[in-house]
Amino acid sequence: MLTAQWLYGMSGCLIAALGLRTALLHACLLHRLIGINLTGAGVFMVLIAVAYRGAGMPPDPVPHALVLTGIVVAVSATALALALARRLTAEQIND
Amino acid sequence: MTELLIGLVATPLTGALVTMLLPRFATSVAIAAGVLTTVAAGTLLYGVGTRGALGYDIGGWTAGLGIALRADGLSALLLMMNALVMLAASVYASAYFSKTAERARFWPLWLLLWTALNALLLSGDLFNLYVTLELLGLSAVALASLGNKTAAVQAALRYLLVGLLGSMLFLAGVSLIYAGYGTLDMASLAHVAQAGPIVWPALALMTVGLLLKTALFPLHFWLPPAHASAPAPVSAVLSALVVKASFYLVLRLWLDVFAEAVTPAAASLLGVLGAGAVLWGSWRALRAERLKLLAAYSTVAQLGYLFLFFPLLQALPPGSARDLAVGGLIILALTHGFAKAGLFLAIGIIQQRSGHDTIRELDGTAQRLPATTFAIALGGVALIGLPPSGTFLGKWHLLVAAFTTGQWWWVVVAVIGSLLAAAYIFRVLGHAFGHRAYPNQPVAIAREEWPALLLGVTAAVLMGLAGAPLWRLLEGGA
Amino acid sequence: MSDTSLLVLDGLLVISLVTLAWTALAGSDARRSVILFMAFGLVLAAAWVRLLAPDVALAEAAIGAGLAGALLLAAVREQSRQPLPARIVSKRSHNKPGVNIALQWAVSVLCAVLAGTLAWALAHALNSAPQNALPRAVSANLEASGVSNPVTAVLLNFRAYDTLLELAVLLTAVLGIFALGPARPGYQSAGPVFDGLARWLVPVLILTAGYLLWVGAHAPGGAFQAGATLAAASVVLRLAGRHQIGLPQGPALRVVMAAGVGMFVLVGLGLLVAGRPFLGYPPPWAGGLILMIESAATLAIAATLVLAFLGGQPRPLAVRVARGRIAATPIPTGKPVSPEGIRSTEPHAAEACHRIQETQKRC
Repeated sequence: MLTAQWLYGMSGCLIAALGLRTALLHACLLHRLIGINLTGAGVFMVLIAVAYRGAGMPPDPVPHALVLTGIVVAVSATALALALARRLTAEQIND
Repeated sequence: MTELLIGLVATPLTGALVTMLLPRFATSVAIAAGVLTTVAAGTLLYGVGTRGALGYDIGGWTAGLGIALRADGLSALLLMMNALVMLAASVYASAYFSKTAERARFWPLWLLLWTALNALLLSGDLFNLYVTLELLGLSAVALASLGNKTAAVQAALRYLLVGLLGSMLFLAGVSLIYAGYGTLDMASLAHVAQAGPIVWPALALMTVGLLLKTALFPLHFWLPPAHASAPAPVSAVLSALVVKASFYLVLRLWLDVFAEAVTPAAASLLGVLGAGAVLWGSWRALRAERLKLLAAYSTVAQLGYLFLFFPLLQALPPGSARDLAVGGLIILALTHGFAKAGLFLAIGIIQQRSGHDTIRELDGTAQRLPATTFAIALGGVALIGLPPSGTFLGKWHLLVAAFTTGQWWWVVVAVIGSLLAAAYIFRVLGHAFGHRAYPNQPVAIAREEWPALLLGVTAAVLMGLAGAPLWRLLEGGA
Repeated sequence: MSDTSLLVLDGLLVISLVTLAWTALAGSDARRSVILFMAFGLVLAAAWVRLLAPDVALAEAAIGAGLAGALLLAAVREQSRQPLPARIVSKRSHNKPGVNIALQWAVSVLCAVLAGTLAWALAHALNSAPQNALPRAVSANLEASGVSNPVTAVLLNFRAYDTLLELAVLLTAVLGIFALGPARPGYQSAGPVFDGLARWLVPVLILTAGYLLWVGAHAPGGAFQAGATLAAASVVLRLAGRHQIGLPQGPALRVVMAAGVGMFVLVGLGLLVAGRPFLGYPPPWAGGLILMIESAATLAIAATLVLAFLGGQPRPLAVRVARGRIAATPIPTGKPVSPEGIRSTEPHAAEACHRIQETQKRC
């Protein structure tokens, strides 16, 4: 058991929950998206903390690869959401 | 034979790339890829039926280090249903989208959705499932927004946000499992995972995420607008297949991978939510003013029935009674897939021909579009659960299981739900067969009416006859 | 570093992460939140360097903080520039405050329970002995994977199928964005300072991308980091007001977009035909095949990320010959804006949020 794992893992849980709260409650789309992205970041922190094995030890590379994949998936989804919002604003102004 | 598993992912994916690069031939390429995928799904079903469950290690790495694809009776059956519904909807879509620009946008996304469905049903790895869920979610959202009206874009945006939250919760659960067990391979997890402080929270997180995507009451709020405002072929597969994919995962996790950790209380909770879905969804379907909205709320209700099985399966000891109940659950899910897809396609035809889908103004539809009306009636027979539909068989086994385990209250829910379903279907048919007189027209069946009709016949007749081979397959393959 | 100083560093990083996340989520000024979110991403990248995850740190800095931040900032800027029709404003809040407060409390309690449960389960997992079977299997098979960076080995060999589907996700997102309409109007030509900056920044970024791609085989780096860096070069050109930002046109653009998934599928099916498993590289060829896939993926990732930033299909260019040099200008369809707009305080910055809020309300 390592202190660093605990510190980063637990704050990851906290950040994920904070992000989720905003994603559910905030009225503004941009804040919601930031909330969803921070929820993801919190989960990623948990994964990277789990991968850590101590200062002199090589970490577990598998969670690193998973997080890399997760980051790209998250940015794809954010981009699509922003494009939908842009279209929506345009539609509502045209109406 | 095992190469079929990767072929079922690679074929629609290659099709998507080719339709993207050759937009002028998109429709023919897509139909060809669809036929190939359907043949592959049929061959796989036959293979699983004769040889039992199949597996494929991608890259040749053992599962765990690498990712394994797996197919058993359950996944092979769902793959087959996906293929038939997608193929029927593809034929329909080739008539529905007439402009070249529309087709160029539609086909690549459509085949990516098919890729995602197949990849999800075959995946044997928890993190890979997260990626397939995202692929499914994004392609479904992109297709739903093709309706291109404000309502469609708005519903698609909300659909996307809900889907993202669902995937994030799922991923949080997956991370916990990896932290606790150091593997993502579901077959090995089924051996090592134990009920306890790691599996319970992980399973809870994954389940909530998946229920959000399956739109189980009260997490269904996003479904009706999204399914009701998408283009008809898209609505059909969203309602028939996409929600079913995340339901399949719940089933896989609860009955298979983490079966040991499931408690009776948790299973009853799912049952209660399912009952809520049956009652609320049917009621809202009865009150709906538009056909598409009726069909969407009916999806909420029909998904509810599937969850009624969880407390019953939890109470039944392993054995033939439980196997019969599992078969009933699956036949219910499959029949709903065919029936709902057929219904949405038929509604699409009405909407295109008469410019609206308001239920009150359907008078005379039976005379103008007899084949389409017949397709709606067939779908209706299956949704209500009249014999000889597959739903009748499924509900029958629900009743048997409920009486065997002494949990008779689920029967009350199922009966009320069926009565409400009969009411909302007959309300539609009553209007369609309305009095307004039309001069006699020759009965002709247009190309786009065939898929809806065939799907309706499959749901209302063929699925009811498929019972025996289906059970044999589940026993052999699961 | 000694244990105590490491602990101090950890404490500082964790406290700033939580504070940045909290402040980014609070408040209603969208621009402020986006900038705090980007700062969060940079600190997170630092934390990941500290946790010996340099590959992830590079990707987080480039994609998670950089490009996601750029996307969000572009959205804020656009929202604050939209003329606001009266109808949308008049739609403001019919919500009952009582219901809202109850809902807020319920969701907050739910999220607190979630944080608690997650932390509780994680504590149990961390307390038990670490699971080392999988990392051991990775290092045992590293030799046969064709690369010596274990993260690249997992990403492009052992779990290459994940990466293939991930590229398909990226492609899906861009196809979805294309279906929604044309790209944003471009920017005005930048002033001499930004232009000069762009002149040396862009070649440096392109070189860095090439280096990251090459070095990924044995050191931190790889296709995603390289692709993001290449995309950054293109975005800098765009901000400098150039119309030619390195993206091909028409069918060629579609080929580049499809290149990542396409190369993956081709290699996978090719191996299948040759009697090997799908994506089962023969060890002597593995390094070369991985580099081939990664090169195609880098181009595809760069193109898709730039297209995501543009927010749609690029407008067609009307090519004209001027003073013996070919210059291309887009067919004017919208009012160009200057990149300085991003940095200067805009009068309506805080209002951007309310506007999106209104557009959200009816959903």
